[in-house]
Amino acid sequence: MENNQEVLLRVDHLCQYFKMGPNAVTKAVDDVSFDIKKGEVFGLVGESGCGKTTTGRSIIKLYDITSGSVYFKGIRIAAGTQSYKDAIKKAQEELKEKSKTASPEEAAKLKAETDAFIAEQRKQIKLARNDQKNCDKAYAAQQVKKVEEKYAPLLSAATGDEKEKLTKEYKDELRKAKNTRLVTQIQMIFQDPIASLDPRMTVREIISEGLVIQGERDKKVIDEKVYEMLELVGLVREHASRYPHEFSGGQRQRIGVARSIIMNPDLIIADEPVSALDVSVQAQVINLLNELREKFGLTLLFIAHDLSVVKYFSDRIGVMYYGKMVELADSDELFLNPMHPYTRSLLSAIPLPDPIYEKQRKRIVYNPLAEHDYSKDPPTFRELKPGHFVQCNEAEYQKYMEQLK
Amino acid sequence: MEEAKLQVKDLRISFHTSNGKVQAVRGVNFDLAKGETLAIVGESGSGKSVTSRAILGILAGNAIVESGEIIYDGKDLLKISEEDFHKIRGDKIAMIFQDPMSSLNPIVRIGKQLTEAMILKGKTRQRESRKAFNEYLKHLNQAMVDAVAKGDSAKAAQITQNCKNFDKFEFKHTELEAAYNTAHEAAVEALEDLEDISFQMEKNAVKDVASIIQDISKRAQASVHEYVVKEKGDRIKSLASALPGQYRKAKRKGDYSQVLPAMYEIRDILKEALAKEAPDYFRMGYYVTFSGKPLPDMPIHELNEYMLDYLNKEFMLGFIADAEKAMEHSAEVAYANMESTIPVLEASLPVFSKEKLDKKECNDTCKKLSAAVKTCIDPLAIVKDSLTYTFASSLKSEIDTYFAAIPKNAKAMRVHQRDQRKHDRLVARGKKPDWEVADAAVTDLELVKHNIAHLIQRLADHYKASLEKRSTRNYEAETVDAIDYLKANASGVVAKVTRRVAKDRAIKLMTEVGIAEPHRRYNQYPFEFSGGMRQRIVIAIALAANPDILICDEPTTALDVTIQSQILELINKLKQQRQLSVIFITHDLGVVANMADRVAVMYAGKIVEYGTAEDVFYHSAHPYTWALLSSMPDLDTNEKLEAIPGTPPNMIYPPKGDAFAPRNKYAMQIDFERQPPMFQISDTHFAATWLLHPDAPKVDPPKAVVDRINRMKLKNQKGGVEDGK
Repeated sequence: MENNQEVLLRVDHLCQYFKMGPNAVTKAVDDVSFDIKKGEVFGLVGESGCGKTTTGRSIIKLYDITSGSVYFKGIRIAAGTQSYKDAIKKAQEELKEKSKTASPEEAAKLKAETDAFIAEQRKQIKLARNDQKNCDKAYAAQQVKKVEEKYAPLLSAATGDEKEKLTKEYKDELRKAKNTRLVTQIQMIFQDPIASLDPRMTVREIISEGLVIQGERDKKVIDEKVYEMLELVGLVREHASRYPHEFSGGQRQRIGVARSIIMNPDLIIADEPVSALDVSVQAQVINLLNELREKFGLTLLFIAHDLSVVKYFSDRIGVMYYGKMVELADSDELFLNPMHPYTRSLLSAIPLPDPIYEKQRKRIVYNPLAEHDYSKDPPTFRELKPGHFVQCNEAEYQKYMEQLK
Repeated sequence: MEEAKLQVKDLRISFHTSNGKVQAVRGVNFDLAKGETLAIVGESGSGKSVTSRAILGILAGNAIVESGEIIYDGKDLLKISEEDFHKIRGDKIAMIFQDPMSSLNPIVRIGKQLTEAMILKGKTRQRESRKAFNEYLKHLNQAMVDAVAKGDSAKAAQITQNCKNFDKFEFKHTELEAAYNTAHEAAVEALEDLEDISFQMEKNAVKDVASIIQDISKRAQASVHEYVVKEKGDRIKSLASALPGQYRKAKRKGDYSQVLPAMYEIRDILKEALAKEAPDYFRMGYYVTFSGKPLPDMPIHELNEYMLDYLNKEFMLGFIADAEKAMEHSAEVAYANMESTIPVLEASLPVFSKEKLDKKECNDTCKKLSAAVKTCIDPLAIVKDSLTYTFASSLKSEIDTYFAAIPKNAKAMRVHQRDQRKHDRLVARGKKPDWEVADAAVTDLELVKHNIAHLIQRLADHYKASLEKRSTRNYEAETVDAIDYLKANASGVVAKVTRRVAKDRAIKLMTEVGIAEPHRRYNQYPFEFSGGMRQRIVIAIALAANPDILICDEPTTALDVTIQSQILELINKLKQQRQLSVIFITHDLGVVANMADRVAVMYAGKIVEYGTAEDVFYHSAHPYTWALLSSMPDLDTNEKLEAIPGTPPNMIYPPKGDAFAPRNKYAMQIDFERQPPMFQISDTHFAATWLLHPDAPKVDPPKAVVDRINRMKLKNQKGGVEDGK
């Protein structure tokens, strides 16, 4: 993409399969790629079961992804191996097929080629496994190095009491640096504010848990931080000692928001944060997220099925259908020129607070069998116009271009 | 307007909690006409779910119904026994709950849960229908004898014989019709599936459809019937029975072109059969039962005419004439009784207006009045006069409330005084207790007395009004209605629900609510379904019993737009087909705009605005409605959303004035002091806000709302809907 903004998160051919039995595989997310730029809100929409939540969870490494990679701030934080394994298998089969007919010399040459290819793939697998496992360690090592570099001159310069104090501070910082995880800079807000808060923990414990895990031991600092967060999300200090059940739905969701922003994240994955809330409370939470976004320059991956909210809130929107991304565009562009038939069907289903309009509204039914003929020419993700991508094959591409004119 | 199917009058419900009495519903009034959707909108905690649960009789154990009536089918649902409620709950009034996980049994397969109620209720329904049929026919018979025979015993015997004949041939009719319907439905369904599958086969994109092919085969064979697939019956049977085998063979080869010709042939036969006209079974039932001759061989429309002639000449015209007289006679008797009851009612008023009521006198008067009112019931009226039916039970319960409240009030006062003393002691010691003394939970005896008087006066007025209207009655139309009522009950008796039928119906319902592969899903457990799928199952269960009234408590809140849209369409379709009345509870105003004929906006246990959907959306008058409208983004919203500040009030200490006042930027001084009455804006539109008082300052709705309404008007003028754009 030719935009100059820094890319914060890159999702590259992400696949997430689940084994449903000896021979059955559910492709929850199948070859999805997108970028999220710094400071933008990326909306992900689709019907339930289309894989949008799974995408979010795969990014934050709640699942081990099957294949593809996720880059965060340029570092590969998650990588899958299935595609390489498939490539090896395919190469081996091809070799078998070809060597049946080929002469001995040719066969030997083919074998050498294939072996080289397989070795390359194996190397990739190793790399992927290493990244998947050790990205956090590498990042922590980097942080430790930074701290060491910062304190080394200071420590050598200081003397007496000051040195003691500085050593203590240094050790503290060092411990924290060792405990840093890159992935903690991605935080998640969950859909159900009731289920996502532990009923046996006080609000203080819930909000500060991340800090404690990161190695913060100073009670005073923790309390200060918690109070700051509470006030930021529109609650008061006194709430810190209460339990989640004492709050209303909107307040609980605010606690969820406070819990995620205390870690100073760069990216927040908001998985249907307002779906379970009343309209009036919904507006409060959306306004809150908007304020936080302006204040901290947060980047958001906003997963929701309420299209009016997504339209209101997002800069760009990706539409998913059964594990595939079918359309991706700026939010105004998407609502103005929906190209993929599924997007059209989705947009035609939005209820609006207008009785006359509603009573005439006709839903467009999307039937993939009737809409597409992919038997000969399978579809790919193509760019129709700058920033507007659609899943289509050549014939459809021509048709869409015609329509766009 | 049509007679209301369900009436809720002055409903007040509280909950006992350890902190005090929570007043959840404070005087709610609405009615629901047949085939109408009423949407109740409000935040959580506004009492909308409590209201709907009261209608279904499933309030929590600590709930107290303080006053009010919920009238359905001539019964007050707040006063009938649990035994009687069993017959209504789930069968006549069904509910779709908000949380699908808690309304499904986790250890029972979905199929069982879907069919359970159908099978259980099937038998009861048959029994009930038979009872209703017999009872009504008996009353009709009696009224006919009284009105027509007038002591002529031969005539009376003939009338009784006629009624018996009607009974006999009516059941023949429903049996014949049921057999036809089974075959016809089978044909329609087989045809639908066939077209679907053959389309997939042409595209060569078939998944495993063995079970559907089995179904098609069975249904195609079941469609052989005298008036559906007749001549080609043998052909279709042989084709259909060979179909599953062919399909298996084709599947092994991966080439479906072998199956298609057979499928096309079955399809053509079915299409041809469905294009045929159906005979009139009511007429045929009589002909077959009494003529003793076989049906003449002629085209169907001629046959229909022929049978009609026979029926009219032999039986129907005379029967209808007698029935009409009977209806008139029965109504006249009821009117005469009303005339004599009105003075009795009015004379009893002083008994209940004394300073202190006398228990014995009250009970005697109650019995006397109940007996008098009972004579005013017209047993032949199809639309039941709910006031008359509920009068006795309402009066009795009010009197009981009065005498039970006297000792209760004394106790509540003692408790209150004790708390007050405690509080005062603490204050005297200079402490600041963090609790307040709750008001004593006393029943207002004056109010109960007033209620009793109102009840009696209302009935008397109602009788006077109906006496005035007696000349406008159309007995001819009512007779037709009465015969339709008998027919409906007869078909209820014949319709048997076996396990097989239930399964078929369940699978059809699952398809209707949009569950793919229903055959496989039928045998799964709830945990194997996603949230949206579970909700669809719950909806299918609610619809399985074919209810009269459907209460939907936020049914689509957890679903995504496409499914939501499908389910709303489904509910709308069923509503039209079955003349279903729907109460739709939600906070999504978009959904309300789609579904509702009328809208009631609730806040803090009261209805604050009430009107048709157009009234509430385009001319909303209450600040709370404005706030709701402006806090919701639509596709054209760019500015900051206006969230409603604060939280709903604590209903243990309900505010003295307008409950919304503290969160309302338009609030005036009077809003904090007195509760606003319902102001009438137009014939259909009411709102409870002081802003509508003639002395109030003129206030415009917030800009966001005005802008949106203007935008909507513009869009609708432009020629309405641009799909998907």
